[in-house]
Amino acid sequence: MEPIVLENSVDIILTPQFYTFLREDLDLKFAYQAKQIAPSLFDDYLNNNDEYQYYVYKCKEAWCFFAYNIKEIDLFLESIGIEKHRVSKIYFAQQISEQLENPVLLNDTTVLQNIDDTVTLIPKRLMDPNIEYPELDMKNVKLKGGVSMGESLNSFISLKETIILSSLFFMLGSVFILEGNRIKSSIANEDARLSELLDENPKYGSTLLRNSILEKYKPIDTIERKKRETIKEISKLLSAKSQLKKLSVNEKSVRAEILTLDTTINKQVKEHANAKNFKVSGSGQNVKVEKKL
Amino acid sequence: MNLMTLQRYKNEIILLLALLFALFSFMFKLSSNTYVKENKAKIQTQISEITAIGNYKNQWDGKGIPNKIKVLKSIVPKSKVKTFQKKSKKLLASYVNLSSNELNKLNNKLINMPVQITNLQIKESAKNQFTMELTCKW
Repeated sequence: MEPIVLENSVDIILTPQFYTFLREDLDLKFAYQAKQIAPSLFDDYLNNNDEYQYYVYKCKEAWCFFAYNIKEIDLFLESIGIEKHRVSKIYFAQQISEQLENPVLLNDTTVLQNIDDTVTLIPKRLMDPNIEYPELDMKNVKLKGGVSMGESLNSFISLKETIILSSLFFMLGSVFILEGNRIKSSIANEDARLSELLDENPKYGSTLLRNSILEKYKPIDTIERKKRETIKEISKLLSAKSQLKKLSVNEKSVRAEILTLDTTINKQVKEHANAKNFKVSGSGQNVKVEKKL
Repeated sequence: MNLMTLQRYKNEIILLLALLFALFSFMFKLSSNTYVKENKAKIQTQISEITAIGNYKNQWDGKGIPNKIKVLKSIVPKSKVKTFQKKSKKLLASYVNLSSNELNKLNNKLINMPVQITNLQIKESAKNQFTMELTCKW
């Protein structure tokens, strides 16, 4: 056979030498049930050393079973130059039995014909020499079912399902990766800032050292700020009619003695001091305020 | 596993690989989440600690104070500065006859200076006149 060069995908119809056909009248509802029992049906007909694939469909009241060796078909296709990926679907000549009521010439020596509802290969020499062989017109033939190369390799999942599910998983995975990267990069700025700070002061990488420095400075900062804040608060209690008599600041407290010129001012100073959480005391026109540090 | 078997289960293998890819990606996302949860607070604490140390050191490490502190002497007339002794990182100063205005200026300078006020005593010595004793360190 001459090599074939294809540019588009094609469907192929296998002639009987590539498959074994059985028609069985079985009480089965579904094709998958039929496919499950297919290997046992062909036990007596097939060579146990070879690996076979099976195809089943319902034909009228019976089930039509096909056993074929995809490796053999593959080798044949290769020998005539048809690449596997160019083959969309594989059909069986039995599926066009109605079109083969009249013999069709396959080549110089072989004829294909439907005999008793089974498409068969017949040597041409056995045919009537005067018979005319019409051309097989495939234009009006609608082929149903068939198997893809992937399915023919006994895959549990069809190529279509594989593509859809794999794409879904791939998209899902990509989304997870993007999301993961986004989450990680959310602390990239903080991480970079920390690295920068540590590059400037490598010794601060030690938690112990940081804690020790903070323990040293934090109380100083807190107490000194409080001292200054308290002095400012006391200065706000002073006016032309409330004058400072004494101010004492040490490590533990800030105390002040304020002389007020009348009872109204005295009352006001006490109220303001109370509002600022000072401990207020004093008698007469003197107001003593104190705040612990 | 020969080539034929691989080819036979090609669809399943592709699907399995895609599923594994999705699973590993999901695990990557989970681990990113955990990593961020564990490290964000830690990193932020470290940053705030280091920044705080920098700020505290700038504020309280006493650099340049010996020069700055001279202003506490020059801001009031010499006659009113009774003592002004700088020893190591400590200042002992006392002032007499300070007017309210002078006391205010002195106080303002003092509270804006990053020194530790260990002792400050202000007393009214006469009408509108004050004495002040100050001990501070840095």
